[in-house]
Amino acid sequence: MIRAHSLLRHREGLAAWSMVAPALLVTMVFAVYPVLDSLWLSLHHIFVGIPQLGSPFVGLDNYVALFHDPVARQALVVTLAFVLLSTLLELACGLIIALVIHERFRGRGLVRAAILIPWAIPTVVASQLWRYIFNDQYGFANLLLFGDRVTDYVPWLAYPGVAFAVVVLTDVWKTSSFAALLILAGLQVIPHDLYDAARVDGARMWQRFWHITLPLLKPALLLALLFRTMDAFRVFDLVFVMTQGGPGDATQTLQFYGYQTLFTEGRIGYGSAISVAVFLMILALSLTYLRAMGSNLLERRRP
Amino acid sequence: MRWISPTQRIQRPPQSYAGTVFRWIGLLILILLPCSTGIACAESPPGAAPASSKPHVTLRFVSWKPDHARVWEEVLADFTRTHPHISVVRELAPHSSTAYHDLLTQKLKNRDATVDVFFIDVIWVPEFAAAGWARPLDDIFSPAMRQEFLPAAIEVGQYDTHVYGVPSRIDAGLLYYRQDLLAKYGFIAPATWPELVRQAETVLAGERQTNPLLQGYSAQFKQYEGLVCNMLEFVEGHGGSLMRPDGTGSALSSPDALAAVQFVRDEVIGRLTSRAALTYQEPEALSLFLQGHAIFHRNWPYAWELANNQTRSTIAGQVGVAPLPGFSPGRAAAALGGWLYGISAYSQHPDEAWALIEFLSSQAVQKKFSREAGIAPSREALFSDPEVLARSPQLRNQGAVLHAATPRPRSPVYPAISHLLQRYFSRALAVDGLDLAQEAAITDAHIDRLLALTKAAR
Amino acid sequence: MTRRILLAGGILATVGLSLLPFLWFVLTSFKSQTEIEAAPPPWWPSGSLGFYRTALFDHHLFDYALNSVVVAGATTLLALLFAIPAAYALARLTIPGKQGILAVLLCVSMFPQMAIAGPIWRLLDSLGGLNHRWGVVLPYVALTLPLAIWILASFFKELPPELEDAARVDGCGTWGTLFRITLPLATPGIFTAAILILIYAWNEFFFALLILTQPEQQTLPVGIALFQGEFTMPWGELAAASVVATLPLIGVVLLCQRWIVSGLSAGAVKG
Repeated sequence: MIRAHSLLRHREGLAAWSMVAPALLVTMVFAVYPVLDSLWLSLHHIFVGIPQLGSPFVGLDNYVALFHDPVARQALVVTLAFVLLSTLLELACGLIIALVIHERFRGRGLVRAAILIPWAIPTVVASQLWRYIFNDQYGFANLLLFGDRVTDYVPWLAYPGVAFAVVVLTDVWKTSSFAALLILAGLQVIPHDLYDAARVDGARMWQRFWHITLPLLKPALLLALLFRTMDAFRVFDLVFVMTQGGPGDATQTLQFYGYQTLFTEGRIGYGSAISVAVFLMILALSLTYLRAMGSNLLERRRP
Repeated sequence: MRWISPTQRIQRPPQSYAGTVFRWIGLLILILLPCSTGIACAESPPGAAPASSKPHVTLRFVSWKPDHARVWEEVLADFTRTHPHISVVRELAPHSSTAYHDLLTQKLKNRDATVDVFFIDVIWVPEFAAAGWARPLDDIFSPAMRQEFLPAAIEVGQYDTHVYGVPSRIDAGLLYYRQDLLAKYGFIAPATWPELVRQAETVLAGERQTNPLLQGYSAQFKQYEGLVCNMLEFVEGHGGSLMRPDGTGSALSSPDALAAVQFVRDEVIGRLTSRAALTYQEPEALSLFLQGHAIFHRNWPYAWELANNQTRSTIAGQVGVAPLPGFSPGRAAAALGGWLYGISAYSQHPDEAWALIEFLSSQAVQKKFSREAGIAPSREALFSDPEVLARSPQLRNQGAVLHAATPRPRSPVYPAISHLLQRYFSRALAVDGLDLAQEAAITDAHIDRLLALTKAAR
Repeated sequence: MTRRILLAGGILATVGLSLLPFLWFVLTSFKSQTEIEAAPPPWWPSGSLGFYRTALFDHHLFDYALNSVVVAGATTLLALLFAIPAAYALARLTIPGKQGILAVLLCVSMFPQMAIAGPIWRLLDSLGGLNHRWGVVLPYVALTLPLAIWILASFFKELPPELEDAARVDGCGTWGTLFRITLPLATPGIFTAAILILIYAWNEFFFALLILTQPEQQTLPVGIALFQGEFTMPWGELAAASVVATLPLIGVVLLCQRWIVSGLSAGAVKG
């Protein structure tokens, strides 16, 4: 009896491994190996313009230098502000969108498609679109606000603070529907009988939202928050297309700085160190989120 | 409520699920198949056996996407007609110097042996030379051949006594202006910046009623490579320099350099030109000028062609071009730009690569580019060629400017230096209440440290 | 009543804010260059198709779109093929080191993509994948797997296990249970994951730019980025191209949305 049981378990274990193996293999080759490679590079001093330097192993020197780098410090501030603002706004907008498209009404399919449009536009194009909207001479924003009074038109992207806000706005517009989709998936598994019971108990709409929807939505919200944070920390396309980090470094994110050092300047070791540092920060944040999610994410909610 | 009873599902015959899986896999193969076959076709040389006795060679030519695609296609078709054993495959990158640089160097960093010929921006020659990416051309690009090109263009192609690039197109900053407006107020093209400011103020005061959008000046002040060119011109024009004369250190803290930056900060941004210039690269600045909204405009030689294009420009025929002003007469400076052809050090077909470069930079092809695409030549003789001048009369005066143009700092770590300069200049122009001298000193220290690194490695 | 007003307001606001900027681009795509650069810009275009002509024929937009269809399609199918069993195993079965696997999957999806671009480039170089469409498909699959697995696993977890247990008692193997019982129930989760992967692969720019440098293989985002000429900002062509590039995805979403949010709900199943 016991043997039969363990045999069953053994067969299940084999099946389980055969199910996970292909995914793990692809991930190992195309994600884990590159990550380890770049960790290793970050411990070296490599400058492609000065090959005579060789590629000496320098331990944590790059990280020490990064810690004292004023440009990196400024970029960190910009990045943290971007992550905080964009993820919170995206979560709020995503929740609203998800609640709307979860409802049943005529033309729901069209509304859903419409809401997914921003996200379906390639980021490179969406960034150009918003750069165009905030153009100083013929931008839509100026047309909406000032109409024909062309002398009042504002060069939005020329002001450091405004340029930063526009980058955040573009990201929120672009990716709120991503958050919405994840939240929607969470909304769908909330059982209707809970609402029915609450309605029978005389709970008002707001009460039902606060006491049923939101608590049960927590795992989905945290999942959306997790993936959005990960992406926001690594924002690149937007800055690359819209501002190139300007004006005056106001939109210079860590990731764009990492790109510049790694790709343009050819400082392979230092650029890798910046990326690893970004990774470590994301890791720390994610662990916090995961702790908040607790065992909820991969455990059944209801007994 | 649309849901399917789970029991219905279970009752379905098992094969249908296996069938679904196979259909998926089949679909996948169908989708992936064209990838592999398409590639096989692309890589096999066309025609089983070339007519010529020489073995067939496929060259890969990396460039940005050219604006005059048709002319390029014709030129390359001519090349393969005259060189039947060579075919040319093009690899295209976005038309931004930096994006193109990053893509190309990614290949070269990894010793990509498939790249044969590429464009090099004049600012990258030291980097490409030091990193061992560009093949020295001393043995094939003879001194006699070099003499036929503009000396400045040959000089930027050299590093450490070797020559790495054959000039394709050479650029220098120029001052474009509205001839009609200047004439109306009795001015000629200004020789100094203070004079330019005075002229602009007079014209603006007179024209405000008819054109409220008119600005004094339009140029490129966005945080990108072009900002370095624009600011170099102001600094040099003031008698300063980005680098110390012996090239050992950065000179942003020198009084002349500081005064020039201060001038742009106080007199140009938000006054002579709208603050919007902080977001402008070449296309945006040019657009303003073509719309008739700027009296003066700084750009490269190509802008002449567009400014006088009846369909693109509202000011065609009313445009003048002159050397950029300085801060005292005779102090003018123009940033040197442009593109060279280079051969990859990892190319396995350097002879065929040279044949392509020789063809592309020949007198006949440069003439074709100049006549049909308005691209300025780099061969000295073409600047006095009647056919070329008939199409581009402005070239008559540009020879002198191109001769005297100032290169940006020449260093194998220029990309890193450029980022520091861009950061400094952009902060200097965009951030309120900035301590200019302090920022300059910090940037000087950063650049000096980079330069020390290259010196120590020598 | 308040509910209906709130809903109507919500629909208007979300649709309006999502669409308005895009509609401006649609209007722009029908303007002429002069109308685009005029200050103030006119609201309505005079109705020129010139930019569509340039985008489609001069810039060969269809070729890029075809490449994108191939790349995005292959990525989606492959990623699902790998993600579904893995997610099922992680959600339902006992695997030693499950937490470790989940942690690794999550960690790699946190790593900045440009840092791994170099190693991936070298890897593809040695595999001969540069300038081949499958050369971007493999990294796309690897990079979308973690998200797909996490979504699917959390979806599988929500399904009632009783049916699966019953199937297993009836002699269904683990794979059989997955394909016969779990998959049909999990369609909304699968379509959600599929859409996420598809749009990622459709939009990805950075790897495509590095790996595909020949126009014959380049995807839409790269192709559109190549519109930028030296001389002018190609707003009109960009607008036309983005309209063309977005239409197929709208179609896919319209087609799939009944599965994304199908009638499945836990309560109904438990019934």
